[in-house]
Amino acid sequence: METRHTHTICPYCGCGCGLYLVSEGDTLTGTLPSSRHPVSRGSLCVKGWNSHEFVNHPARLARPLLREGEGFAPTDWDRALNEVATSLSAISKRHGPDSVAFLSSAKMTNEENYLMMKLARAVYGTNNIDHCARLCHASTVAGLAETFGSGAMTNSIGDFDEADLFLVIGSDTTAQHPLIGTRIVKSVLDRGAKLIVFDPRTIELVKYATLSARQRNGSDVALVNGLMNAIITAGLQDEAYIAARTEGFEELRKLVAAYTPERVEELSSVPARDLVEAARLYAGAKKAMIVYAMGITQHVSGVEGVQALANLAMLTGHVGFPGTGVNPLRGQNNVQGACDMGALPDVVSGYQKVADPAVREKFAKAWGVPRLPDKPGLAATEIMNGAAAGTIKAIYIVGENPAVSDPDTNHVRKALSKLEFLAVQDIFLTETARFAHVVLPASSFAEKDGTFTNTERRCQRVRKAVACPGEAREDWRVIADIARRAGYNGMNYAHPSEIMAEAASLTPIYGGISYDRLETFGLQWPCPGASHPGTPVLHVEKFTRGKGAFKPRDYKAPAETPDAEYPFVLSTGRLYWHWHTRSMTGRTSTLERESPDCFVEISPADAKTLGVRKGEKLKVSSRRGTITVRAEVTERVKAGSVYVPFHYGEAAANLLTIAALDPVAKIPEFKICAVRLEKAGA
Amino acid sequence: MSTYLLRKTDVRPLLKEASAVWDIFAPLREGVGDVNFKALPKDRLAEALENLVLDDEPTLLSPKTIFFPQNETMFAFGSGGIREQVESSPKLLFGVTSCDLSGLLFSDGFFAKDFPDRYYLSRSENRLIIVKGCLKPPRQGSCFCASAGTGPFAQRGFDLQLVDLGGEYLVEVGSGKGESFILAHSAFFASGDGRERAAEAVKRDATATLGPGVDFDKALRLMVTGDFEKNFARIGERCVYCGACLYVCPTCTCFNVVDRADGGSGSRMRTWDGCVFEGYTREASGHNPRPSKTARTARRYEHKLKYDPLVAGRSGCVGCGRCLDSCPVGIGMSKFIREVADGTEEM
Repeated sequence: METRHTHTICPYCGCGCGLYLVSEGDTLTGTLPSSRHPVSRGSLCVKGWNSHEFVNHPARLARPLLREGEGFAPTDWDRALNEVATSLSAISKRHGPDSVAFLSSAKMTNEENYLMMKLARAVYGTNNIDHCARLCHASTVAGLAETFGSGAMTNSIGDFDEADLFLVIGSDTTAQHPLIGTRIVKSVLDRGAKLIVFDPRTIELVKYATLSARQRNGSDVALVNGLMNAIITAGLQDEAYIAARTEGFEELRKLVAAYTPERVEELSSVPARDLVEAARLYAGAKKAMIVYAMGITQHVSGVEGVQALANLAMLTGHVGFPGTGVNPLRGQNNVQGACDMGALPDVVSGYQKVADPAVREKFAKAWGVPRLPDKPGLAATEIMNGAAAGTIKAIYIVGENPAVSDPDTNHVRKALSKLEFLAVQDIFLTETARFAHVVLPASSFAEKDGTFTNTERRCQRVRKAVACPGEAREDWRVIADIARRAGYNGMNYAHPSEIMAEAASLTPIYGGISYDRLETFGLQWPCPGASHPGTPVLHVEKFTRGKGAFKPRDYKAPAETPDAEYPFVLSTGRLYWHWHTRSMTGRTSTLERESPDCFVEISPADAKTLGVRKGEKLKVSSRRGTITVRAEVTERVKAGSVYVPFHYGEAAANLLTIAALDPVAKIPEFKICAVRLEKAGA
Repeated sequence: MSTYLLRKTDVRPLLKEASAVWDIFAPLREGVGDVNFKALPKDRLAEALENLVLDDEPTLLSPKTIFFPQNETMFAFGSGGIREQVESSPKLLFGVTSCDLSGLLFSDGFFAKDFPDRYYLSRSENRLIIVKGCLKPPRQGSCFCASAGTGPFAQRGFDLQLVDLGGEYLVEVGSGKGESFILAHSAFFASGDGRERAAEAVKRDATATLGPGVDFDKALRLMVTGDFEKNFARIGERCVYCGACLYVCPTCTCFNVVDRADGGSGSRMRTWDGCVFEGYTREASGHNPRPSKTARTARRYEHKLKYDPLVAGRSGCVGCGRCLDSCPVGIGMSKFIREVADGTEEM
């Protein structure tokens, strides 16, 4: 049988590597990297190399399912779609539009996310739409929008090849963004670039660090304020840049004056001399990049953490030039795009606010509806609270698995089971789908055309390599079908390129993006016009908002700190081998074999105190739940801290985590809660 | 050995004619401009032939993957019993580099030895290999065939070999199968008499251009006697476990076998595997005889450079340079061999 190659984009992280899928008929048989692609450059991480394998797994959902007692019975599309459309309509009518909510997916294409938010707003009249960005970079979107005017990575992945220094804080880069992490490694080893790593765990990058320290969990704002204090004390701030490009410096100066290295050492446990040295290195570098991820954002002080970093970069003039910037690494393959397309409760596509009457009018006119809802909707975390409280009656979830991925999942599972109606559209029968009344079989990345936007704002073409299994359908078709059955006539598309054309016409930052311009390596937004080349570096010469705004932020303590009853700090995170709730990587033989079960990392000192050997089972309990996992005794974590990867549904770390939210971004504090450890036999 | 001439302008018409009998595999430019060694689609043959690449551009994977795909279904099972999937279509590989031919011959030896592997052997039983020697290194700075003794032109194992004489190729015949192919398409071939000396000069020049970059033989000798634990430790620490070096290697033949089932039906599949992964040597008890990155790195290099020469009679590295080019942190066989031969620190 003939083998075919299809050039497309990796479905895992926000790096957005270009790869070829190898297929024989409708079976994928391999993956290979693109040598010319600007991100992958002939390489992939192990997930990328094996990205095809889950697609053909026999457990793929291939028929629509209807709830029948405790289980499901197969049904036909006609009935399933009608059931979804009419249930949502009926509940919306009975309890009001805001009793219905929509969870879109950072795994779907831009076009599909655009349709999801159009479905929520134009068809069902609610802004209750959100997606997992709420759980990862909501703090970034809010924090950087306020300081810089644009809540996205300021620079490009190619910039990692020219930076003189990297300040990596709260990002396990080689594990989570391998093709960015390896650029850092090569820059250090081959070009002599300097590397500063702040992370509560000894991550892989620490091996290459010029300077590294393990700050106390949740002390990041204090730590970054301390860096700024040391910079100002040494007179290393960029006065010319501050004067020309920023506003609010005096307030910042006053606030950080209180964060002396000695006080910060007390708060963060980072030695004062290391803090001063790191400040000197960062401020003194010609081109310095700040790189961060969930270690900064997943806190009740997530927005403050992001803004502290923005302050630091502006203080030293490290924004607006190649090889510099504030670089949040976006997690999912298309979490940037899902945000760009307005799968968020307060903005439509291109971060245009629903509260702005002109925006609503523009979209209402284009969508052929009399009006659009003006009140910002609920965030994903609030939607679950609403379901638990009974104010949210129905949810349509596409490609998300909150029953494993959300904090305090006992609460989430209870909330899901209280819903009057739940529709879940996914490629496998996930833990969340088990709560559904209707399950719709969806398409994987290999089965549809569309675009993904990677962490550097590069909108790239995704191409169909094989047909969906069985009766499964492309998500954009399913969403449009639901809209039609709900009586809406404005979602008729023959191909995703037509959806992008509509989105681009309404979204200034995507204004110049069309499929004929995306054939090779895509375009980086903002790309406002048909001949605009795209924007590799943001905030050149001036910030998107005009002047960069210093936002002085005080340190505040985490929501839950250890006490006598729950004496350990638990941090959660991800592993190199797995992706999120493991519905794809758990069905990829090499990846699953490398890390088949959940574990808790515990320091040798704590293991000794508890009398635990490597491999022994430990009960880890918080105020919200208990899991039993294997002990991994390792120096990676400090005494008093433990770490559990959140991938494993059967021992879900999120049964333990706390749903304490950042008040602005509504992101939960996944990175800190208090737990107790006991030997499982005891 | 008889020789023929093939005009470059006749290559595409020849392949078109041959496609009536053969599935043709060749280096094709595709997608976003990459060159991949892959099948010419029969329904879009003319278009695909336009994308045929005749100069020495690197292909990411070796032709080994045609006979040993990354995921291969061995059989499907279910209520109807077992349906085995074997494939043996006639395959013409055009434009194989000499180092890749060495890799194919190495893999042939592995899959035919001890326990004949019917999946690989049936895929490869009906094949014709047309080698095209390189005039310049496809992977400048990474490949080293002249040092490894695997190129730029092949000594044996090919059916036909092309030597670039400018507007035409001198065609060397290496097997009866190759001779038959020429007879079957005789309109495209003229006698090569009198051009052999020109071809020898081209080969000599190419060999001089392509190497020797490293003292490969010295490295192989030192692998037996020397101690390279420090090198392994340094390289192992740097490795990020992407698996690229084994996925792109023309002689890596390891695979894992897994069942993919949903209820009582599914398929048994094999998938590329290899020694850099921790799970590859982890035993059922959890014990791992290769527990560290250092130990797994040592296994890879010692297998290729120390034990393959002892067991298979030839090095497991053919000098193609792919491992270095596809490694995101710059680890590669050519660097290691230089470390061993010259006592330097390349990585």
